[in-house]
Amino acid sequence: MMSLATTQTLVTRLWRGLHVLWIVIAYFVLLAPIAVLILASFDDGSFFRFPPQRLSLRWFEAATVSREYRSALGISSVVAVLAATIAVVAGSLAAYVLVRHRPRGARIIEAILLAPLVLPLIVWAIALMQIYSALSLTGTLTGLVLAHTVITLPYAVRIMHATFERIDPVFEAAATSLGARPFDVARRIIIPLALPGLLTSTAFSLLVSFNDVIVSALIAGGRWMTFPVRLYSQLRGQGVDPTTLAIGAGIIAIILLAAIVGELTMKWSRQV
Amino acid sequence: MPPSILLLLPALALSAVVFLAPFVWLASTSFRTQAEGSLLLADGLSFDNYIRLLADPFFLEVLLRTLAYSVITTILSLIVALPVARFIVTRAGRLKGILLALMLVPLVSGALLPSLGMLHLMGPLGVVNGASRLMGLPTVKLLGTPTGILIGLVQSFLPLMVLPLVNTLARLPADLEQAAASLGAPATAIWRRVILPLAMPGVVAGSVLVFCATFTSFVTPQVLGQGHIATFGTVAYQQAGQVLDWPFASALAMVALVMIGLLQVAIAIGSRLIRRQEAQ
Repeated sequence: MMSLATTQTLVTRLWRGLHVLWIVIAYFVLLAPIAVLILASFDDGSFFRFPPQRLSLRWFEAATVSREYRSALGISSVVAVLAATIAVVAGSLAAYVLVRHRPRGARIIEAILLAPLVLPLIVWAIALMQIYSALSLTGTLTGLVLAHTVITLPYAVRIMHATFERIDPVFEAAATSLGARPFDVARRIIIPLALPGLLTSTAFSLLVSFNDVIVSALIAGGRWMTFPVRLYSQLRGQGVDPTTLAIGAGIIAIILLAAIVGELTMKWSRQV
Repeated sequence: MPPSILLLLPALALSAVVFLAPFVWLASTSFRTQAEGSLLLADGLSFDNYIRLLADPFFLEVLLRTLAYSVITTILSLIVALPVARFIVTRAGRLKGILLALMLVPLVSGALLPSLGMLHLMGPLGVVNGASRLMGLPTVKLLGTPTGILIGLVQSFLPLMVLPLVNTLARLPADLEQAAASLGAPATAIWRRVILPLAMPGVVAGSVLVFCATFTSFVTPQVLGQGHIATFGTVAYQQAGQVLDWPFASALAMVALVMIGLLQVAIAIGSRLIRRQEAQ
């Protein structure tokens, strides 16, 4: 007969084993579509079918020569870089003032700055589309960058807020009392100390802007059509061009790499 | 005015003017109508859009369906996420960084690229059906069905549940489980009576995030539903982007906004009441 203690260890072991199995299944579901996207991009055929008959780099080659996709990716990159730059600069300035000076109404100001994370973007996009149309901003680079700046700004504010809270104000105070001008304090003390936060918020802003389809689909227009908008209209319409699979796989690979490097060096998951 | 306030202005102007002001515009256009046979707005205010919304069973059905998907996705995500978050916090060891990093991927990739993968996973010639054919099993129809959409929604929004849970669980004392176990509590009781109540703030935060994300999502239901299944997101998008009935799209968006707003207020009041009860 088994003793009570052995039964208990057995139950605990079984429980722990099931827990691990659960994690494996959860991550399998989480990553399956990404893995399939990458697999499908190497399939030689014009229609992916499982199991793939032949693997090749054909669609990656097609992606590098296609003028249409090069221009869409170029537009996405330009918009992402402009939006991320404005968002990180404006967001850092605001976060710095909120943390160091704690102005009156700081909580209301924070709520306004973080609103895009709480309120549904699709509702906002429907409104913005109408205002852009009235102001003739639809289908312009300015309109697109402005909208992307707004959706990336709360990430920059939140990440920089947490960053400045971790930096001891004594360094800035010491430099100032030794006669450093505000500009030098910013350049020599604050920016170097806040560098991990600046890198994290820049990366997040770039990725969020680059991948946005919710807002862009309603305001981008034909001239400044970003890659996700092009892909979305393809998915809704005539079916998938395998070239987009190759580009999608490339984008996912970059995101994976960024997430792993960011998590291991800067603890991204705790900053979002 | 102190100079520090000036540094706040750019961000504040962007958020207040470009983000918040359009909501006011939305509320006002939702009471307008389009002139007959034209896209221009007619004069005068009316409740026509709202009356049409409530009178047409199609839109009521869409809202109820979206509500059902949101509730189901939230519950499924919670069931999947709790053990995952617990594992990441207590047992992952060196794997912790990698497991968290992988959680970030769907969060920053948006819904589009995973949907593209899902399309090839669930399609008639996709991985699931290809594998079943190889093994001589019957094929399953996932694309264009609610099941397919729900799988896609849980996959896309799982991180929104896991990350708040990880943050909450990480604050609990590490020896909590052993303490309860050493007093003779079985594993189920430890979960039900110790971990779950203490994880409640994370559960609420994650549930609100997943619910709102699901309610307003349109890429996943559009792509995985193959255009056969209408949800709030797909219909709102269609009205705004293709039908070009902007006043009606505005009214639809307002209804969603009010529903989400009411839910958040209810949850805020609910958790305050519970906290007050516990304090007594």
